[in-house]
Amino acid sequence: MATRPSPLTPALIDMRGVVKVYPPNVLALDDVTVSFADGEIHALVGENGAGKSTLMKVLYGLIHHDRGEIIYQGRSVRFRSPGEAIAAGIGMVHQEIVLVNEYTVWENIVLGAEPVDWLGRIDRKRARQSVQAIIDRFHFALDPDAQVADISVAARQKVEILKLLYRDVSVLILDEPTAVLTPQEIPQLFAELRELRNEGHTIIFISHRLEEVLELSDRVTVLRKGRVVATQSAAGTTRAELAALMVGREVLFTSRRTPQPPGDVIFAIDGLRYEDAHGRVRLKDVSLRVRAGELVGIAGVEGNGQLELVNAITGLLRPTAGTIRVGGEEITHAPILVRRRAIAYVPQDRGRMGGSLPASVTENAIMTHHRLNRDLTRWRGLLLDGGAAQRFTDQLAATFNVVMPGRSAPLRALSGGNQQKVILGRELLLDSPFILLDQPTRGLDVGSIEYVHDQMLAMRRAGRALLLISANLEEIFLLADRIVVLHRGAVVADVPVEEATVELVGRYMLEGNEER
Amino acid sequence: MLMQRILNAALGIVIALLIGAVIMLAQGYNPLASYMALFEFSLGSPYALATTFKNAVPLVLTGLSAAIAFASGPINLGQPGQLLMGALAATVGGLYLDLPPVLLIPTLALLAMLGGALWAGLAALLRQAFGMSEFIVTLMLNIVADYFTLWAITYPFKDATAYSPMTPAIARNAWLPEFGDWNSAVLWMLAAVVLMWFVFKRTRPGYEWRIGGQNSLFARLGGCPVDRNFVTVMLLTGALAGLAGGLLIMGGPHRFLRGLGANYAWDGVMIAIVANNSLPGALFYGLFFSAIQTGALGMELITNVPSEIALVLQGVLVLVIVASREALHQLADRLAARRRAQTSIGRSELT
Repeated sequence: MATRPSPLTPALIDMRGVVKVYPPNVLALDDVTVSFADGEIHALVGENGAGKSTLMKVLYGLIHHDRGEIIYQGRSVRFRSPGEAIAAGIGMVHQEIVLVNEYTVWENIVLGAEPVDWLGRIDRKRARQSVQAIIDRFHFALDPDAQVADISVAARQKVEILKLLYRDVSVLILDEPTAVLTPQEIPQLFAELRELRNEGHTIIFISHRLEEVLELSDRVTVLRKGRVVATQSAAGTTRAELAALMVGREVLFTSRRTPQPPGDVIFAIDGLRYEDAHGRVRLKDVSLRVRAGELVGIAGVEGNGQLELVNAITGLLRPTAGTIRVGGEEITHAPILVRRRAIAYVPQDRGRMGGSLPASVTENAIMTHHRLNRDLTRWRGLLLDGGAAQRFTDQLAATFNVVMPGRSAPLRALSGGNQQKVILGRELLLDSPFILLDQPTRGLDVGSIEYVHDQMLAMRRAGRALLLISANLEEIFLLADRIVVLHRGAVVADVPVEEATVELVGRYMLEGNEER
Repeated sequence: MLMQRILNAALGIVIALLIGAVIMLAQGYNPLASYMALFEFSLGSPYALATTFKNAVPLVLTGLSAAIAFASGPINLGQPGQLLMGALAATVGGLYLDLPPVLLIPTLALLAMLGGALWAGLAALLRQAFGMSEFIVTLMLNIVADYFTLWAITYPFKDATAYSPMTPAIARNAWLPEFGDWNSAVLWMLAAVVLMWFVFKRTRPGYEWRIGGQNSLFARLGGCPVDRNFVTVMLLTGALAGLAGGLLIMGGPHRFLRGLGANYAWDGVMIAIVANNSLPGALFYGLFFSAIQTGALGMELITNVPSEIALVLQGVLVLVIVASREALHQLADRLAARRRAQTSIGRSELT
């Protein structure tokens, strides 16, 4: 299935038989052979844990492979550090952006490689000029004098790319560059990347958003479970074909949501307001309703009040004004345990809020149930019934298809998808009328995402009220009955999904409802 | 996992003994003879063994206190002060109460626990009311307890016939019975370890403490009353340290002498650290520290090596075990990874 690179385009980078084992026993790369041609945009796709990032970190010298060979510009290389890789012309932009907020754009770009005058002082004029020259050459829309703290995430990402270009890198590796961007910002990034390629740069692009991959890249390599399953030209490949290669089976992309009349209002927020310690308004008179059998999706650029809304519902923060009611009962200031009788909560951060990584699967599975389910305790709740806890965990694992080394294994020994299944299963087994899901599929692979979506739709059919917060618009459109857009802490749109388009919602996300 | 811990302990002990031997050689002593003496006077005879166990009581109980606190989240470093307050409470009870032994001994043990719990509870209260870090408050309260108990045994409760600060002896009925060489304080210690292990591993509060210690936010969102649990753990670990003080009085000198607390509680904190907050580990290392300390006293008698060598061995042991724990873990992982890379190329299943 894998095609060799055509002899007409000489390979710039040849990775042959690369093996990487993460201690102690995770085979991350299993005999990977792939080559990148000079001047192409080459996408690496695959599920989470397929080995995309690992492969690129090996190339970049961040981690070291256990076997195999890397040929770069005809020579066998083994970079001991990213510094060596950059010196050789290979640079990588990570998902997390690390810049000095207090510095300007050009200062960040030259940081660590500043031009100096004969006295050893930084030659600010020359530094700024060379940054401006690169910006002009590649037509980046960026002000070199802007302070980094004031610019958008998309602009920061450009600064990261420019840092590498300033260091004369010819191969650019981008790890999920679109993950942090809004739909409107992506086309500009792509235009700039094409410009770079036309100027002779080679771009390796890691992603699991298939439509982007097909739009941008020349060739695509699909990885699955640490192995290359195919390398092919993007033209003439379809999204479904790539998805099938990634997952190893057919994946449905259409909504399986069936129309159903919503029932009574289960969850109601009225005039919810929150001002933080500095007096800044984080939630501005938010009102919203979720009915039984209805799934409401909250869209918005991150940092527009989603976190505060979730924390107000779970009880981590005290709202300044307004009420929250579940099933008619007001819980605005109720203790967390009282809330948890009516609210299932799947948080966005598995290791921080959803579970305890060093604790066993069983110990993670019984949380909250240990206080609400009398079968799990004896002696008026004083003793934990170990046998009952194990049976409960087995039932959860069977119902939600959890693959685990054993129920006494620590949660961290499970893959991300299986960790999320434990957490999701635990919350759904609470039988709460209201289910709050904060980024429930973040960082999961395609197969796990599909599974989580199925479970959410099953809950909707069972008449639960679901509130989904997601940074992924596609997910919201796939699942939600109604879309609520948050912008600067206020609800700026509340529309049935049938009346919404991605463009419309995207515009609300960026501009609010001031002028349309 | 258990094997790795045992290997870690064995390796740490051997390396610490080797380093100790090098230090003794450098000082011109015979390490082999010294270690023989150390062994003989700690484990070598039934009497020595019983003494080692008895001396382990305050070490194990304060170690247990620190291990439970650290594993549950609260940074209770107040064991020295809580031990002293517990000892004082038991002493005062023993001076003024007169009951038959079956009633008096448990009463004084309870008083000792209350004394320790009160002292720890003060720190918990200050944290709940004003958000003061228990880390600092418990440390500072140690100094207060130090001088408060010194004042108490110098003025109100002083033995009028004594020339230095000490209380009179407590009621004869409060002396812990001895069975041959064995002091029954050892039974209290073993009972405390078993009971605490059960509470920690098998009960609902124990589960909530452990999870809260690992990830407090998760426990809180899961509906655990984390603030209440914090106070309970502080009171409980204070009570354990207080009990150590009470048993020290009832089992040993039967009166509060100046310097009674010695270094037991700080050793207890070290024991918790070496044991990585495991409760059986606290028992093991408590006994081991006691063996070194007890044996060193005997060693001093028949060799020229000063008993302070016990402190050197203890210090080296803590450093070696804590340092090798992580190193051993990584080494095991890396060896496993190398094996995997050599054997399983291209053979993983694609499902």
